[in-house]
Amino acid sequence: MSQARDTQASERAAMEIRLHGRGGQGGVTCAKLLAAVYARLGKAVQTFGDYAGERSGAPIRAYTRVSDSPISNRNKLYQPDHLVVLDPTLLGPEVVSGLAEGGTLLLNTPLSPEAMAAQFGRFRLATVDATAIARKHGIGTRSVVIVNTTLAGAFARALDLPLEVLEAAYRELGFESNVPAAREAYSALRVREAPAGGGRLPRPAVLPGLPAVLPLSEHKEGPPTGLKTGSWRTQAPFYLRNPAPCSVRCPAGNDVVGFVQALARSGEAAAAEVLGRTTPLSAVCGRVCPAPCMEGCNRRELDGAVNVRGLERWIAERVPVAVRAAPAHPSPRRIAIVGGGPAGLSAAYVLATAGHRPIIFEAERELGGVLRTGIPTYRLSRAALDGEIDSILRLGVEVRSGQKVDRARIPELARAHDALLIATGLQRLRRVDGPGEALSGVEQGIHFLRRINLGEKARLSGAVVVLGGGNTAMDCARSALRAGAAKVTVVYRRTRAEMPAIAEEIDQAVEEGVELVFLRQPLGFAGAGKLEAVELAEVELGPPDASGRRRPVTTDRKTSLGCDLALLALGQSADASLLPAGWKLEAGRAHADGRPLNVFAAGDFSTGEGTVAHAIGDGRRAAQRALAALGLEAEVWAPPDAPKAVRPQDVRMGHFEGRPPAHEPTAPAAERVHNFEEVGRGLRDGAEARRCFSCGDCTSCDTCLVYCPEGIIRRKGTAYEVDLAFCKGCGICVAECPRKAMEMRAS
Amino acid sequence: MSRELVSANHAAAMAAVLAARANRSGRGFGSGVYPITPQTECIELLCEEEIEKGQVVRVESEHSAMAVCIGFSLGGARTFTASSSNGLAYMAENVFNAAFYRLPVVMMAVNRTLGPPWNIWVDHGDTLMLRDAGWVQLYCEDNQEVADTILAAYRLGEDPRILLPVMVCQDAFILSHTMMLTDFPEQPEVDAFLPPLELPHRLTDRPRVVGGLDFPRETEVHRIQHANAMALVPEVYREVQATFRSRFGRALADPVVPYRVEDAEMLLVSMGTTASTVRTVVDRARERGIRAGALRLRMFRPFPEEALRGYLAGRARVGVLDRNLCPGLGGIVWAELRGVAPPGCLVQGYVLGMGGGDIRPEHVERVLQDLTSRQRAGEPSFVEVGS
Repeated sequence: MSQARDTQASERAAMEIRLHGRGGQGGVTCAKLLAAVYARLGKAVQTFGDYAGERSGAPIRAYTRVSDSPISNRNKLYQPDHLVVLDPTLLGPEVVSGLAEGGTLLLNTPLSPEAMAAQFGRFRLATVDATAIARKHGIGTRSVVIVNTTLAGAFARALDLPLEVLEAAYRELGFESNVPAAREAYSALRVREAPAGGGRLPRPAVLPGLPAVLPLSEHKEGPPTGLKTGSWRTQAPFYLRNPAPCSVRCPAGNDVVGFVQALARSGEAAAAEVLGRTTPLSAVCGRVCPAPCMEGCNRRELDGAVNVRGLERWIAERVPVAVRAAPAHPSPRRIAIVGGGPAGLSAAYVLATAGHRPIIFEAERELGGVLRTGIPTYRLSRAALDGEIDSILRLGVEVRSGQKVDRARIPELARAHDALLIATGLQRLRRVDGPGEALSGVEQGIHFLRRINLGEKARLSGAVVVLGGGNTAMDCARSALRAGAAKVTVVYRRTRAEMPAIAEEIDQAVEEGVELVFLRQPLGFAGAGKLEAVELAEVELGPPDASGRRRPVTTDRKTSLGCDLALLALGQSADASLLPAGWKLEAGRAHADGRPLNVFAAGDFSTGEGTVAHAIGDGRRAAQRALAALGLEAEVWAPPDAPKAVRPQDVRMGHFEGRPPAHEPTAPAAERVHNFEEVGRGLRDGAEARRCFSCGDCTSCDTCLVYCPEGIIRRKGTAYEVDLAFCKGCGICVAECPRKAMEMRAS
Repeated sequence: MSRELVSANHAAAMAAVLAARANRSGRGFGSGVYPITPQTECIELLCEEEIEKGQVVRVESEHSAMAVCIGFSLGGARTFTASSSNGLAYMAENVFNAAFYRLPVVMMAVNRTLGPPWNIWVDHGDTLMLRDAGWVQLYCEDNQEVADTILAAYRLGEDPRILLPVMVCQDAFILSHTMMLTDFPEQPEVDAFLPPLELPHRLTDRPRVVGGLDFPRETEVHRIQHANAMALVPEVYREVQATFRSRFGRALADPVVPYRVEDAEMLLVSMGTTASTVRTVVDRARERGIRAGALRLRMFRPFPEEALRGYLAGRARVGVLDRNLCPGLGGIVWAELRGVAPPGCLVQGYVLGMGGGDIRPEHVERVLQDLTSRQRAGEPSFVEVGS
């Protein structure tokens, strides 16, 4: 009947540690970590927290007892041997009460032990900036830094506990990832020994007096607001705008989340105003952009990306975007732009709206460049294109069409104008470089598309083979079908997953009857006087190349594909020979003999990126560079850092209801394959904008206000006001913000 | 065996899971749970565990939590739930039902002060409110005892001579949230200690009515049977202690745990963790030459009358420390203990530590001082503890 723990209540050789922190800082877990370390050293341990219902931010205590014999003392700790203070704002006489003179006082503070000595010099002082270390190592919740595991590392150093035992305890409790921070705190700890002669104060035998308590039948004076919980705070919530992934990824530099939210909140006029800040070609991009914004859309993780492309078209069809007329500049400059494609048009738009005089030199009869000659009308109606070009020209843009500018004329144009922009796009076309390429029936796809798009007669029959996997290949294939080809086959050297073409374009091509053949590399062309077949080699996929895609490896196995027309869509590049001899491009600006010229490259000619959106963005940059070079202080736009954008894990998906994306209706495949009318019919309404999470941009959704446990966030118009007298700094508002439009900052 | 640094809440859950898995070769395990401070961690851990042939149902109230346990138990499954304070009050109707159906449900109850005004800390008023519900009630003093008592409760309650639910009680925060090193047996050891439950009256595929109308004669007999089963508990508990020791290699505490009683003139009687502090004071008193001893009342239902009579025989003074109050009567343990004290023994009641005040040795010293200086017993005495 006698049992060890019931026969002798021994408290011999006991050591007691008391921790002071705030709810949410992890004081209880810190005490547990210390207990786990001593348990590993073979000691009996006991650890517990001491708190009420205030939760986050409220002062709490936690205790750890360590003993060589079983522990049966279940009282709180009134006479600790060591004290750990997680939050320096708690420091005061009450916190150190009962600590033996010479006992260790471990403080989380950037201050040195010497700086604390005036007040607490009778104790052994140890300090470490655990908050800075924990923040550096990213330890904490969605909103607040948590210092407990870091500080435990410092404690180990202060009490000379072996680091490897500490690390083992971290592993056991699942804090392995916090070990580096603990290790850093271990070595960063600074200690000031207590003066000699200190000793434990005598244990007070007298119990403290008890306060009087009013009977429940009497009114208790003082509402709960008497407790100014703001004094508990070390961090406070701030509202801010974080970059959204859609905007960060837009090659044109559009404020994507801005225009979508403007549409959702204020309508299409407000949305068009946002778009017009960066692009004059929304009707175009709303149809043909590959939409990297949608690839980056955080809503993909919930139920599908917001149909941003569809929304941009929807806005542009209702409100002309490019109408930002500006007063003439006091000394307007004449700036020549070679090439009237998207980059040239974008540059002209920037210059015209800044009050200058852009002059576009265009080889074709009409402006638009590849938008007119390359992109088929079933993807981009000429009414939409012409409308936007007209809007740009109405801002005061001169046009010299039908004038092909060659290398010889470039220096002359540069001399005759304040600056010159070259935006000629990708004029050099890749070839197969195999036998039979000169046969009748072998044609560059770009040339084929130009014939079709400019209305030249191009009636086809028989079988057509398109070589390539990009948007030009898709355009060739689908145009060939519409022009009467009996059969169209696209041959690509990799697989569907690697095709650079927009996924919807591929889907629509397949719906229309285009056949896709993968893993074939063209070698040459066969035929007697006229093309009869394309010679192909079979391809296998090898290890990934620099682009991360698996490199195609050509085998000796050969096949032949019979056809009447072969269209080459193998890629394009800039024609650098347009630059006069001795000229060199550096960061988009031409230099001669190492001296900068007021000649700038714009769009694909400069970057080779090959999308309308890139061309718009770089056209703007080139125009801004030119203005900056002329001393006109234009701000040059730079693509923002993608890593800073709001990530899916930053979005509180649970605050959003699932609703699948809205898709544009399209003409039935069987019908549309017989004509060149636009396939996409545009979204039915703008409701899709309401699916936008508004990543990083406050929508005044009141979630912070609703979740604040203190009820001290108030609406002020569309913004919020936090009553700092009561804000505990718990971080719940920040953790619950659905869109990361808030963050905690030291206060 | 494994040794873990865990709170008594987790210790209870871990022991319940061991017991649950031990019934996998029988009719499995079922549980209905509803959270309440300071019990929540216990059922959170239970919900995280994967238990073969086991199901934990998260319900909307304590009343339903016990109803789910009753259903599972009637179906022959081993069951477990946990609650506290006002949760127990809301559960009360079904607490009685479980006992009157004679179902060996095991419930871990964290002793928390009943509100309002609200208080989340320990006193024993909540489970003592259910002292007439027909359950076995065991009160624990440390984390190890919580784990061990949960395992023992199944062995005891499921014994075919008993078939009663068992409430395993522990002090809020002082145990529930305090982490200490606790030993847990391996599953095969528990399997051997807890054979599959065979509930004789479990429901089968032959439909029948359970708990319909009892006429006076039937109720009278059922109550007498209930009383007889309770009367057998001390004897069966002794058997459980023996099996426990042989299986797990450590002792399971007695229904009444004595401390330095051999030559004691006076005894201090308490329940739960108060007993730890009492022992410290007994040691100090002995140093001063006072022949003091202590009893810890571990089993409150059935009331261990025989054991208590044995310990109280020949003592001049007994002080009872109640961490509860029955207004209009006094401390409940004191009230019940008076009836088993020998003639001439001074039995004085002290009420202290209600609402979770930290009962320190200094408070118990006051009790001892009062007890030694007293000429005769009086009204229950309140010792105010504060925070």
